[in-house]
Amino acid sequence: MIQEFLKKFRKKSPWLLHYNAGSCNGCDIEILACLAPKYDLERLGVRNTGNPKQSDIFLVTGPVTMRSRERLVELYTQMPEPKVVVACGSCTCTGGVFRGMYNAEDGIDRYIPVDVYIGGCAPHPEQIIDGIVKALEILETKTKEIEQPKKLMGKITENDGQTDKTKMAGSL
Amino acid sequence: MSWLLTLLAPILGGFLYGIERKLTARMQSRKGPPILQPFFDLFKLADKRPMVVHSYHAFMGIIHFVAAWVALSVLFFGGDLLVAIFFHLLSTSLLIVAGYSVKSTYSRLGATRELIAIAALEPILILTAISFYLHTGSFEVSKILTAPTSIFTSVLGFLALLIALPGLLKKSPFDAAEAHQEIVGGVEIEFSGFFYDTVYAAKWLDMLFVFTLVFLFGGSSFVVGGALAVFAFFVVLLADNSTARVRYCDMVRLLYSLAFVLAGANIILGVVL
Repeated sequence: MIQEFLKKFRKKSPWLLHYNAGSCNGCDIEILACLAPKYDLERLGVRNTGNPKQSDIFLVTGPVTMRSRERLVELYTQMPEPKVVVACGSCTCTGGVFRGMYNAEDGIDRYIPVDVYIGGCAPHPEQIIDGIVKALEILETKTKEIEQPKKLMGKITENDGQTDKTKMAGSL
Repeated sequence: MSWLLTLLAPILGGFLYGIERKLTARMQSRKGPPILQPFFDLFKLADKRPMVVHSYHAFMGIIHFVAAWVALSVLFFGGDLLVAIFFHLLSTSLLIVAGYSVKSTYSRLGATRELIAIAALEPILILTAISFYLHTGSFEVSKILTAPTSIFTSVLGFLALLIALPGLLKKSPFDAAEAHQEIVGGVEIEFSGFFYDTVYAAKWLDMLFVFTLVFLFGGSSFVVGGALAVFAFFVVLLADNSTARVRYCDMVRLLYSLAFVLAGANIILGVVL
């Protein structure tokens, strides 16, 4: 019963973790515009925490560059469940103009499971807000089971205090 | 009455924090979150999968909250002001111990800055307590609340406390210890889920604690005390929204050269007059 009571508050206070996986900063500026006075995401309870251990929504921008993929997966595994991943911008969804290049991956869904895709280069603030509201609906249906990244980390278990960095950046 | 206030302290603190977030938003011409937002955050965090670095670290977070609550209850029960300040110091030091106990750069950096901050802030609290003693002849909060208003005779002490308030509440310009965009919250970075709840709620209690200290300047006149507390609340918010963060060494320099000197001058005036 307590679980049911607490579940109601998930969508009322989503805390955001914003990660730039090699973006051109176009999407980042639009995200900041969402948090600024004109669109004011904080009226929905959104707070930009910058701390994976206390966040619910993982908002990623940029195609995954070779240098950023380890951090992407590490940040993902550090977030406690329930969590949702929002891919913001064309590059993040599919690779965009960087698709097929030698130094970038084609979107974040090669590494971690994505719940909401927001297209556009760069997406409008309205689109980002729409995406976050959609992510909140998905957040309500999530359970507390551990979600696994697709690559780089091996299997994550309940007892993993630290991530095993020896396995990272190994198999691609 | 004091039992009721003590038991309701986290709820009162939550409301105060909600009002503060709303007012901050209005000052930036935003709409802002609902007033109950801190409680939503609290319930949401309790629903997350528990992730603990090690049990000692998590336990220190809980004890930090309990010590902050004890400090506040000493004030509400009319106890000794020095004991209340001691428990306030203890609760901060427990958080610093927690910060040092994990292998995390930001956590340790935050703990070091917090340690430097309390070295600059706690003397001002002690000097404030001494100025109360000089004007009422007692450290007991119940005696201070029946003595005449002390704001006119110790206005310098009030100014000193006003300068120290942003540091005590970890607000800009003196928020180097938890600097959210710089060291991601400092000591609180490794807490998550329910254990972050306790650290989060302890912040509300800290807030109530310092504004109760400001309230004591009113003495027996609760109207003056209330007005001073509301005034201090607005000044702190205004400073938070209109100033940039100063480096921690500049913070110590400012606090020692302004607040400490003002509080010291207040004591000397109290002795002379």
